[in-house]
Amino acid sequence: MDSVQKLYRLFLLLVIGGLAWNILPFLASVIVMLIFAFLFTTIFLQTVDTLERRIHSRGGSVLLILGSVITLGLWFFGSFIANLGSQIKVFTTKLQQEDFAISLEDLSNKSREYLPDFMGNMIPESAKIIATAKDSLGNVFQNILSLLGSAGSFFFVAVMVLIFTIILLIEYHDFKRTLVRFIPNKYLEIGLRTIYNIEQQISKYLRGQILAAGSVAILSIIGLFILNQTGANMTLIVFIGIIAGLANLIPMVGPFVGMIPAILIALMNNLGNDAAMAHQLFGVVPSPFFIMDIVFMFIIVQQIDNNFITPILVGESVGLHPMAVMIVLLIGGTMMGPLGMLFAIPAAGVLKVIISEMIFISKNSHLL
Amino acid sequence: MKSLYENFFKNKESSDPVLQVLGQVPIFENLTPKELKDLARLTHERSYKANEPVFKKLAPGEGMYVILKGTVEIKDPDSNTTFATLGSGDFFGELALLDEEPRSAMAVATEASELVGFFRTDLLTLMKRGPELGNKILLNLSRVLGERLRRTNLELTKSN
Repeated sequence: MDSVQKLYRLFLLLVIGGLAWNILPFLASVIVMLIFAFLFTTIFLQTVDTLERRIHSRGGSVLLILGSVITLGLWFFGSFIANLGSQIKVFTTKLQQEDFAISLEDLSNKSREYLPDFMGNMIPESAKIIATAKDSLGNVFQNILSLLGSAGSFFFVAVMVLIFTIILLIEYHDFKRTLVRFIPNKYLEIGLRTIYNIEQQISKYLRGQILAAGSVAILSIIGLFILNQTGANMTLIVFIGIIAGLANLIPMVGPFVGMIPAILIALMNNLGNDAAMAHQLFGVVPSPFFIMDIVFMFIIVQQIDNNFITPILVGESVGLHPMAVMIVLLIGGTMMGPLGMLFAIPAAGVLKVIISEMIFISKNSHLL
Repeated sequence: MKSLYENFFKNKESSDPVLQVLGQVPIFENLTPKELKDLARLTHERSYKANEPVFKKLAPGEGMYVILKGTVEIKDPDSNTTFATLGSGDFFGELALLDEEPRSAMAVATEASELVGFFRTDLLTLMKRGPELGNKILLNLSRVLGERLRRTNLELTKSN
């Protein structure tokens, strides 16, 4: 290559780089949509392949599987919002009642007894709590409606991701072949191996995570059911379990997020109930409204998940050291928040595959 | 009238050179036209310049190649011995479909050539997507390797 050609290539590279840098902010949302579509494609690819084998129609299997998943998702969120709505209505009525105010006064006083003075003073008067709760809960439906209004852009993104996912699922194998066409002959075999390893890495991780989330959901439902037998008076346990499972997809932070709906429901259902107010975990630890029981139950579920389920289902799928996992999660969380944490580990897995193949290439360049 | 016949009635696949060549390879024999078409969708068509290596000796093997057009030499670069010169319809590198062992020889295109690559990752995908077809190919592959082993045994017996 002569120096003019080198200079020309450098110039071209700079122009393309400059253009990409300027266009990137506009493309960022599309790239995120494509990443989501790719992840969904990886999750459903094997199921689509299996169904295609049976019904001999790729398009049909994609539509059947995505249709079922979307229907289930809509049914879940629809009935969850409906149930939560009626629960909030009941709770709002409860707030009007006198005995409820007394119970809240009790809770406020008891909390002050257990806590040191400086913390106890932070707890507001029961009347104030009721007023605040009335104000916020009274407007909850309006808030939900305005949330749905502002969710217009989310709806657009979801539809775009769905369209991308459908196209990717139908054309996945052809897309892959097209991508392979761009690999120079020299790197063809190693390129194919890298693509296959990346696919396996992501697919294994996502499947493992989904199975782990499913088991956390089931264990949480069982745990909440057991708590109900001890008088916890929990409702919507299936929904709480599923939310805990979904939250579990985000490592480390998720489990705590999963507890919140359960604690809120326990508070809503048990306010005004003296027995629940005086409840103690194992007859020793004060656990008003079964809050400590719920926390304890979720800790047990997490322990079972961390020590038995995840090591078996997810385990070595990414092959990252726990310290590396924590660092990667922190980086992902800092860059993109919870979404970054969700993608951090599979992204690190992909990077690991690419780096190991690059090391192989640099060590064995004479063989290529 | 001819164009009408070609548009609606003539089997377009039968004129596809990739399908024609794949159909001649013993590893893909006894496949139905539909199976052959499914297989072709997983393969990779590649063009090589004259004297361009397809793979080098000791490189980790990933799959086999079928020659669509041109000539490929299988040789040992150390001793410069040519083991075989292969032409259109011939195939090589099929052992790599089964393991990742390093290539035992080098393959070089001696003229501008077009090859169809079928790789272990494609076979693994095929075994997931269509186990029946995957099994057929594996059975054919075993048959080809068995036949080759029998021939080697016979030659060894003769030389002894």
